[in-house]
Amino acid sequence: MKLYAYCLAADLDTLGDSPPGISGAPVRLLKIDDLAVLVSHAEIDAVPVTRNNALAHAAVVRSVLDQTTPLPFRFGSLVTEQQLRSYISNRKPALEKKLAHVRGCVEMSVKIIWQLPEDGNNQLQEIPVAEPQGAGATFLADKRRQLLGDERRAAQAAEIAAWLSETVSDLTRDEQVTVRSSERLVLSAAHLVERAQLRHYREKIGEARENRPELHFLTSGPWPPYSFANIELEFKTQFGVS
Amino acid sequence: MTFSPENPLSAEPEIETSHAEEFVEQLRCVTDTLPSRINIDAQSVEQGLAKLVLTLIEFIRRLLEKQAVRRMEGGDLSPEQIEELGLALMRLEGKLQELKSQFGLTDEDLNLDLGPIGRLI
Amino acid sequence: MADFDHAIITEEWDNTDVSLLETLDHVLNRGLVIAGEITIAVAAIDLIFVGLNVMVSSVETAREVLRRREME
Repeated sequence: MKLYAYCLAADLDTLGDSPPGISGAPVRLLKIDDLAVLVSHAEIDAVPVTRNNALAHAAVVRSVLDQTTPLPFRFGSLVTEQQLRSYISNRKPALEKKLAHVRGCVEMSVKIIWQLPEDGNNQLQEIPVAEPQGAGATFLADKRRQLLGDERRAAQAAEIAAWLSETVSDLTRDEQVTVRSSERLVLSAAHLVERAQLRHYREKIGEARENRPELHFLTSGPWPPYSFANIELEFKTQFGVS
Repeated sequence: MTFSPENPLSAEPEIETSHAEEFVEQLRCVTDTLPSRINIDAQSVEQGLAKLVLTLIEFIRRLLEKQAVRRMEGGDLSPEQIEELGLALMRLEGKLQELKSQFGLTDEDLNLDLGPIGRLI
Repeated sequence: MADFDHAIITEEWDNTDVSLLETLDHVLNRGLVIAGEITIAVAAIDLIFVGLNVMVSSVETAREVLRRREME
């Protein structure tokens, strides 16, 4: 018998009125040891990525947010009850640690779009080259120009990320930030915010928006902690190939 | 734990932006990169592998370029060496382009998304 | 033909609005993943492995089905 799993929680004994799940199926609570998993019956081989299913998944996970902070499963988690049980018993300590980490918090998102800085050639120190320059040397000179432009952009993107982090560091328990200096969507951040700090956090973000009018912001939330749930991937710093 | 009634958490997450159009354009990549049915014919399997291999080669190629530029800047290469290095890298870039078009892959295809740490290239 | 992924596209995504895309960005890209063991522990390499792992398993599964098909 196949189940669709929505989220995992501690401190959850009963399910109030839950919105319908994938393909309208009713959602129930499955207790595994002292943890609870929200599931629905799903005798299918694959979960269609439809608007309704995506929204249903989100709604079901969100519905427990008033009672507790769950660890959301990724969309499409089709399992048997047995698989779920082994998964949980094999990873109990890691899951409990994650649950403790997100306890009492919600996730807030910030995404930033910028005007990609132009490749300015004026500040380059030209390396003295013996004339005439062959095709190979020209190739490398051009690459150098490109790379310097990339580096400059990366530094500017990093500055934006650092500025944002700094702005809310007192109000966030954790953050997951992706920086992409060669794209218009330069930054995508998830902040783990304690519920009591939400209003203060929103104010801070509002101020930050006004302080940088050259940047375009998209903020959203509160979300269940999707970005802080995965126990397999534990990286926190942002990486870029530089 | 009680929560403020004026902001019940089980309500829809608020989404706030003055630039919806721009963000739609940027976020579309979320749906654009979802796989449609995986084709299991030989050609697609080949393509999947080609993508993997070419991505890695491309990654390394870019590292080599950076290395070369650093050394050039460092001043420890003679003009002849610079020229030779440049030509070799130029040919490598050209070769990669050929391979990419042979498999019908674009630069976008080779840019593996590693989630929170960003794209490979 | 069977579908290997747990999630498949079955409809067009034209005219998607920002809030739906934001929701998708959360439920599709993040969250606990049950399937897919990642066991390499070396710091720099495991991150690349994550991406490749997903790709490799899709290709492997595909080859498996191809192979089985040939045997029928």
